[in-house]
Amino acid sequence: MFQCSQNVLWINSLSLWWSCGCTDIVFMLLQTHCLVYSRLQSLGQETVPPASLPSTDTEVNFPIGFGDLNANLHELEDNDLDALMADLVADLNATEEKLAAEIEGLKVPSPPPSDLPPPPKGLSIQPASSLASPTSPARGTSSNVSTPASSTASPLPPPPPQSSKPSKEEIEAQMKADKIKLALEKLKEAKVKKLVVKVLLNDGSSKTLMVDERQNVREVLENLFEKTHCDCNVDWSLCETNPELQLERTFEDHENLVDPLLAWTRDSENKILFQERGEKNEVFKNPQNFYLWKKDKRALKEIKEKDKELLIQENFCGTSIIVPDLEAVLYLKEDGKKSWKQRLFQLRASGIYYVPKGKTKSSRDLVCFVQFDNLNVYYGKDFKSKYKAPTDFCFVLKHPQIQKESQYIKYLCCDDAWTMNLWVTGIRIAKYGVSLYENYKTAEKSAVSSVWTNRSTPSSSNPSTPSPTIKAKSPSQANGHAPKPQPGPVSQDFDNVPLPPPPPPMADMLPPPPPDPVLPPLPPPLAAKSSPKPATPQRHLPSNFPPPPPAMENLPPPPPPPPINDASEAPPDFLPPPPPPPAAGYGSLPPPVSSLPPPPPPASFGGMDLSLPPPPPDPGFLPPPPPRPMFTGAGGAPPPPPPPPPPLQPAAPRPAAVRPTGSVKKMPPAPPKRTTPAQHGGGGDGGGDFMSELMLAMNKKRGNN
Amino acid sequence: MCAFCPFNISHSLLHMLHAHAHTHTHTLHMHHSHSLSVKAHFRLAETEKKKEQAYFDRSDTSSIDTATQTTTCPAQERARNCCIFSQKNLGNFFKDLTEAQESPSSHFSKPWTEETNDSSPAFLSLSLAPSMAVWDLSVTVEDLGSDAPPVTLSVASDLHVGGVILKLVEKTQIKRDWSDHALWWEQKQRWLLRTAWTLEKYGIHADARLVFMPQHKPLKLCLPNGITLKLRACFSNPVFQTVMGICRMLNIRHPEELSLLRPIEQKKKKKDKDSAEEIYDLTEVPLSSVSRPCLYNGMPAHFADSTQMEAIYKMLSVTQPPPAPEVIAKQYRPASVVDKAHIHGRWLDSSRCLMQQGIQENDRVWLRFKFYAFYDIEPKYDVVRLTQLYEQARWAILLEDIDCTEEEMMLFGALQYHISKVSQSEPQMLSSSAAMDDLESALQSLEVKMEGETSTASEMLEYMTAPELNDYLKIFRPKRLTLKGYKQYWFKFQDTSISYFKSKEESIGEPIQQINLKGCEVAPDVNVTAQKFLIRLLIPAPEGMNEVYLRCENEQQYAQWMAACRLGSKGKTLADSSFQSEIQSIRSFLAMQKTSSSSHGNVPANDESINTHSLVSPRYHKKYKTKQLTPRILDAYQNVAQLSLTDALMRFLQIWQALPDFGLSYVVVRFKGSRKDEVMGIAPNRLIRIDLGVGDVVKTWRYNNMKQWNVNWDIRQVAIEFEGNVNIAFGCVTADCKIVHEFIGGYIFMSTRSREKSDTLNEELFHKLTGGHEAL
Repeated sequence: MFQCSQNVLWINSLSLWWSCGCTDIVFMLLQTHCLVYSRLQSLGQETVPPASLPSTDTEVNFPIGFGDLNANLHELEDNDLDALMADLVADLNATEEKLAAEIEGLKVPSPPPSDLPPPPKGLSIQPASSLASPTSPARGTSSNVSTPASSTASPLPPPPPQSSKPSKEEIEAQMKADKIKLALEKLKEAKVKKLVVKVLLNDGSSKTLMVDERQNVREVLENLFEKTHCDCNVDWSLCETNPELQLERTFEDHENLVDPLLAWTRDSENKILFQERGEKNEVFKNPQNFYLWKKDKRALKEIKEKDKELLIQENFCGTSIIVPDLEAVLYLKEDGKKSWKQRLFQLRASGIYYVPKGKTKSSRDLVCFVQFDNLNVYYGKDFKSKYKAPTDFCFVLKHPQIQKESQYIKYLCCDDAWTMNLWVTGIRIAKYGVSLYENYKTAEKSAVSSVWTNRSTPSSSNPSTPSPTIKAKSPSQANGHAPKPQPGPVSQDFDNVPLPPPPPPMADMLPPPPPDPVLPPLPPPLAAKSSPKPATPQRHLPSNFPPPPPAMENLPPPPPPPPINDASEAPPDFLPPPPPPPAAGYGSLPPPVSSLPPPPPPASFGGMDLSLPPPPPDPGFLPPPPPRPMFTGAGGAPPPPPPPPPPLQPAAPRPAAVRPTGSVKKMPPAPPKRTTPAQHGGGGDGGGDFMSELMLAMNKKRGNN
Repeated sequence: MCAFCPFNISHSLLHMLHAHAHTHTHTLHMHHSHSLSVKAHFRLAETEKKKEQAYFDRSDTSSIDTATQTTTCPAQERARNCCIFSQKNLGNFFKDLTEAQESPSSHFSKPWTEETNDSSPAFLSLSLAPSMAVWDLSVTVEDLGSDAPPVTLSVASDLHVGGVILKLVEKTQIKRDWSDHALWWEQKQRWLLRTAWTLEKYGIHADARLVFMPQHKPLKLCLPNGITLKLRACFSNPVFQTVMGICRMLNIRHPEELSLLRPIEQKKKKKDKDSAEEIYDLTEVPLSSVSRPCLYNGMPAHFADSTQMEAIYKMLSVTQPPPAPEVIAKQYRPASVVDKAHIHGRWLDSSRCLMQQGIQENDRVWLRFKFYAFYDIEPKYDVVRLTQLYEQARWAILLEDIDCTEEEMMLFGALQYHISKVSQSEPQMLSSSAAMDDLESALQSLEVKMEGETSTASEMLEYMTAPELNDYLKIFRPKRLTLKGYKQYWFKFQDTSISYFKSKEESIGEPIQQINLKGCEVAPDVNVTAQKFLIRLLIPAPEGMNEVYLRCENEQQYAQWMAACRLGSKGKTLADSSFQSEIQSIRSFLAMQKTSSSSHGNVPANDESINTHSLVSPRYHKKYKTKQLTPRILDAYQNVAQLSLTDALMRFLQIWQALPDFGLSYVVVRFKGSRKDEVMGIAPNRLIRIDLGVGDVVKTWRYNNMKQWNVNWDIRQVAIEFEGNVNIAFGCVTADCKIVHEFIGGYIFMSTRSREKSDTLNEELFHKLTGGHEAL
């Protein structure tokens, strides 16, 4: 179900991921919603904390931009965990809804959730579910998980109360009417594939974000703009590199990002780069170079603006898109041989053709070399040495799923860079048609508007980036304020390092010993089936907190924040979570925040990383739990008072459900143990583990960075 | 005489005006030296029409229209209708007159005009000019029959044309609507359309052979879709306006893109031999001057009159079934660029009328899109235009008027197949050919939609769980060194994947293998007669593409699995609404293979059995047998099978327009200073110089770099100046330089059209850009 590209991970095989340590991308196919649920929930908790932490973090500069859901999500994305959480929560909600729908059709959603949770994971599960369900409603009504998370600091408190109980009822009422539809939508949503993607920046740093399969590259770019505060010009692109084949290609803005990434193999070393690529839109800046390529170059340089416009009009705005009529002698690498043979190629809208020996150039004699339906065009790097190409100006045509050397890859070599760009661009025009122009126009608009947004609300973007740092600082402050403008992930990472300490405090506060206990709690929900331990731990909220500590390295940050916020407001409400985990999270969270820093985290971490195995992992996983608190906090900042009740609430799924909105985002408690997940495989446990592991891994990475 | 005494005219006219103004009878009396009185009647009411000789007003204009026309019509038109004014239009009228004079206008000097503008009673009372010599003018009246002797009139040179006509009509004693009639001067090949001009002014003497005949005459019009219509077209106005009129009648927007072409003789002969050709008669359609006909039932009102007319409209607006291969083979096909150039030498001159270009009543001409700059195609309003454009494109492909590659030809073939199939089952045509299948599939898709919208939870769940296919199939994976044949397994198609198991019983467990079809290539390998039904899958994997063959037992099974594979390769599941239609189309292709292999050619083109040779040019008739061709077209078809009729038409046009040679009209030219013939390709945005020997493009000039172009009509040479001091000059070999001039000016005109100006066609500009000196 899950894959990490570069170091691709199948979700189930977290261990692999660990070992690789370089996983850039995690694919999560949430097909078994239930399973995912539980995991997600646990993760969500963890993630939440991160979000809050970031905000609180030193990087105060980052104002948290709430904006719409997407925006929020984006922000969260900085924190891998956050993103994961959100997604997971969403899935959970969806599944719950689905179940509810199935079970009762029209009846209250809450019941279904409750029902569902129990079956899968028992006690722990319930809480999780409750959280999830609440979140979902919130989403449905208001907007998104992300908001809560992002807003956690300030917004959380207030919203939670409302959402928590009153909202529940209201929601329920509404739900009766809209339930079915909602459920269906969620179902659909639940099917959505999501990946956690690590994007490399020019300065060597990286950003990690969650991408779902409905997002196109443009949307992802917008996310990155927010996170990196770059100038947002039209040249910014996402590129995919394939080191094994020495290829690279710029994604088109309208492409879905997830699809091509899914084609990466598990052990792939492919990378995604965020770069300025002038050639992407060169054809719209200097159309004459492509459409009048036969003219002498000096004349082309002197061409007037209005003539350029005319060219674009003629070729991109008519009933039909006109492909530059390229014709050139190119070298073709012969199948399976090292030799390169010259052929006269022609580019047409319908494909690339060559002129067979002894024939004329008339259309009827042309032989089709390739058509573009199933092919992408890539730039080849350093083919001179790799394949003994006549020059280094090579491009390649291959099916996107082909990742290794194969006779099905076509290698072409040009005399010079100019020719190569001409051909690659021409092929893109033939393949993508008017989409390219639309992409360009969209990019232009975005570039213009970004200037404004950057000036006015640079902060908004910051939040996301800061998140990492937030983690570190999180201890101090739960909410996402932290996100300071500093985009530098690296710095953030550092922050994280320090952060660990904070988490410990949290741990201390809440759970004192906890990591283990904590972990257990989380797991239970997720993996109810898998590990009994989790369940028990769950009950001990404190214990849960401890988990945060482990997180410290990775997760720690998140947890702390939540605590803070939660403590102030939400925690109590959610606390109700008597369902151990959630409630604990809330109640405990605050404390953890303070205490977290201390010990738990480190210890847990080490354990976690080293041995995913049960115990250590748990601690490590524990961190995840913190996230939950976050969520709860967000959702039920108000709830805090209720904390005690929470337990009760857990009993009653509905309340929990109401809050879910808040909780939605976070929760993936954690897959304390990989083993469990594996066992459960299909079950949420497995998912939970994954999630937690992922989170940890990510945190780790960050820390390392 | 008038030449010396313009006053004659002025007096009579003033008199007319005077009478008009004072009597309000709308009948004007003009007293001339010979006391000839002309009653110019303006039909204000139908009742007046019968007793009057109403050649001044035209049946298609109401009196009110005419009155207002004085301000809106071109000068020429106004002059013809010169009797129409109210007092306030007086000034206008004289202005018209002076304009109408043009070359001889010196007689209508300014002072004179001023005088008339005074229009005082005193002026009106001026005595008439002295009488002039009377001579005999013989006029052939076409309506009397070709054998009837010419009618002889006694006229004086200062009699204006309107007077001649009035006299003529009186003399024939025939009561009818003469409003469309006008005098044609045979020797000079010109119409005497300015009724206010005198014979003197026209330079007509006793030896002139004049013919009195209607301006609108029947014309056989061959449409791009090969159908021939008979309709009344204007023979007296410039062809540009004639085409406007025709397009108005046929409901084709943007008539400026079309023009008339002389047919190719060879073809005509052949056709005459066939003689089976049906001609659809539209001559009864009333001539209308309304710029946009009002629509009734989605078609111009005149088509809604009768079922016959409706049938004709259907012919215009629905694509024709694919022609039989023999028909394609029989058609004239240009074999070279020079042949094509000769065709382009046949365009009629837009600025002269049909009569002047030797087109006679009932002659045959082709209506074709001439300027390949199709502006603002809006399927909603452009049904006929789009259909005819498609037909023209289709024939250009089939007759290899434009070159394309084999792959492109297959795609064009697939689109034609699809279009012909869909156009027969479109809702609007349900009445005629409502095949039960179509109805069923329509209902099905409706159901699917409803499901999607209502969706109770359970329904939704079902809906979201895609249906599966299960069956025993045989699989073969060609690998190195394996000669193993096909092995049978239990196959299951679910979502976008195929899994197979040892047997049906074991299908609950783990499959032997699961193959995700998303992004794979699916190709048929079918021989119906040999009962071979193979599906060839090329499945992408990180290491390359894996080849897998699935063998089906029979058609039914094959159609289902093939359809499933196709959907799967596009990432769709069996729940996709197109599954059933995909099965249908695969079956109909199989059927095609059957019929075409049994009966050679001659298959009537109905939807179930189209001979695939009907879809490609004759070159491929020779290259491939139909059974070889069918799978190739089917292959291309899978990419277009889901298109709606309009989308398919548009796609066809887009691919056509994307061909490198699209929009090129060729003319053989000889460049100044060069001794050899070369070819000039005229495209919507550029001129291309092509070397005849090699066929290579030597040079390209874009219009937007053009500073000016001139035609030296004496030496028939076109000279063009481009920016950067580039000058070219050439004489035209296969076409009159007027045609080249018109192409260049026409394309420049086309590029001036813009949305803001919307519907109004700037006719004047067109003539300015394309007219040449003759138009002046």
